[in-house]
Amino acid sequence: MKPLPDNKGYFGPYGGRFIPETLINALLELERAYTAFRKSPEMKRELDNLLKNYAGRPTPLYHARRLSSSLGAEIFLKREDLLHTGAHKLNNTLGQILLARFMGKKRIIAETGAGQHGVATATVCALMGLKCLIYMGSLDVKRQAPNVKRMMLLGAEVVPVETGGKTLKDAMNEALRDWVKNIRSTHYLIGTAAGPHPFPRIVRDFQTVIGREARAQMKRLLGEDPDFALACVGGGSNAIGLFHAYAGRSRTRLIGVEAGGRSHRPGDHSASISLGRPGILHGTRSYLLQDDEGQVLPVHSVSAGLDYPGVGPEHSYLKDEGLAEYVTCSDREALEACLALARHEGIVPALESSHALGYVMAKRARFKNQKVLINLSGRGDKDLGIILEETEI
Amino acid sequence: MKGYNGLYLMGNYPGAELFVETALYGLKHFDFLEIGIPFTDPVADGPVIERAAHELIEKGFRMDDLLRSVRRIRDGAPAGKKLLFMTYANIVHSRGAAPFASLCRKAGVSGVILPDVPFEESAPFRRAFRPEGVDLISFITPENTEEQIRKIATAASGFLYCISIRGITGNALSLDAQTQKKIALARSHSRVPVVLGFGIRDRATAATALKHADGFIMGTAVIEALNRKKLPGVRSLLRSLEETA
Repeated sequence: MKPLPDNKGYFGPYGGRFIPETLINALLELERAYTAFRKSPEMKRELDNLLKNYAGRPTPLYHARRLSSSLGAEIFLKREDLLHTGAHKLNNTLGQILLARFMGKKRIIAETGAGQHGVATATVCALMGLKCLIYMGSLDVKRQAPNVKRMMLLGAEVVPVETGGKTLKDAMNEALRDWVKNIRSTHYLIGTAAGPHPFPRIVRDFQTVIGREARAQMKRLLGEDPDFALACVGGGSNAIGLFHAYAGRSRTRLIGVEAGGRSHRPGDHSASISLGRPGILHGTRSYLLQDDEGQVLPVHSVSAGLDYPGVGPEHSYLKDEGLAEYVTCSDREALEACLALARHEGIVPALESSHALGYVMAKRARFKNQKVLINLSGRGDKDLGIILEETEI
Repeated sequence: MKGYNGLYLMGNYPGAELFVETALYGLKHFDFLEIGIPFTDPVADGPVIERAAHELIEKGFRMDDLLRSVRRIRDGAPAGKKLLFMTYANIVHSRGAAPFASLCRKAGVSGVILPDVPFEESAPFRRAFRPEGVDLISFITPENTEEQIRKIATAASGFLYCISIRGITGNALSLDAQTQKKIALARSHSRVPVVLGFGIRDRATAATALKHADGFIMGTAVIEALNRKKLPGVRSLLRSLEETA
């Protein structure tokens, strides 16, 4: 297989650089810097050191025995929830902050939905002493109040975005506008494997540590690859990080689980691949939830981190090539999975990650006696308010 | 007014009647009309134009309604005035670039401006537009290198849209010496007018634009005038331009 993306930033027909002309040279500069960064042994040493001693890698692979016996399948959890700051997002922000410093940028901006990427960005900015500004939809600011406080504690400025649906998509619009204005001083630290080239590739590369570790850990434990590997998909960074170790290289079947929300009606879910069609948003051509005239549809998910109408372009490619399968899990199923994992294993997962487990629980016949690897991308502390509100505890 | 100048209006904003009336009045002063097709996520636009777009979409904007207004403008406007669409890539992509171009031709729209399609992604759009005689308008910006400007200017058709600032619509105009040099370079390579946009809001900024470029485009200030005082607001804004230019 040819390595993707190609030199124009395409995964087959998906990807590209659909951004204002003003940003083109910043993206080319980023691409050149990233190529040099990857070749630098010092940078690699510094990143490896931070991943190990600061972030806590490798994260464990855990065989969830009680849950397994209740489901009749062997469930293995990749514990990204145990990473510093409580989610896989830090893998990417550590990489990109070194890259930003390498390029001499002094100011960092980022968008955040659930706040996990915002916290991970604020964390690495504190670590490097860089100015940090986080755009967050005002609805998410309310839904994810503890993470907003954490970002402020870490010294970041949080800007609530009041336009559109006031969630992740709108935060990304605002971050792009900021970047156009402050292009010389600022690095836009995108949190998911989407946006214009080279971001989908950079974010994927920094997240592939998940899949590399998990595949080796599974082999040590079982002597073979699992039958299935699952991850939740919003923008798709944790999923691409896991899938990349297997896609086209293993018999393991890959399943990306999108947010099925309240129903499959427009506006009630965030299932871009399962229920959308190709479109162009935020710099990339990929599956998109849109109406018949190309207006982007409002989205919903009980988890703020999956609440996005687009998806990373590499997932669109994996879907069309049949290298991965994309399915949905409803709000209700995700909440049930969250509760089940808490009660069977003493682990409270993020509502995002609960979608991956929720699909396995809802379709348990399909996974009977199978070995199933699930990426537990984050922990659920930030979701306590919503979980308590939505369940009868 | 001297120069080759464009007026931006959001299509059917604030309503179809006032839009058509303002457009026809504007085309007495301006050479071309840029008709915004609202998009949910207008990342190159500031809050004034974004709010107008969201208001239209919430009221159930449909392309067919806009096309009816465009035909009325086409029929009522003096000969030689050009109409263009300004929107975002997904609106064109959703319909397909070739069907979109055919729709433009039938409506008498001669060009399309897509601020999220940079030159290096423009080839498929150009290929699909050309058979219908529809131009894809290219941009140059203060961030482009001289080499890029030469390439973009040489290939430009319709006119060349020079973004005056690092920023979005509605931001203030400032032309540093380097940007002035880049505009001059673009003019020396372009067969079509080089028109300055972003930050043109009154006679002073219009005069500055005309000193360096072949013309200017005014947008946010017009929408603001429309919001404040309807057509009389636009009339007095455009009359004040006429006095200087």
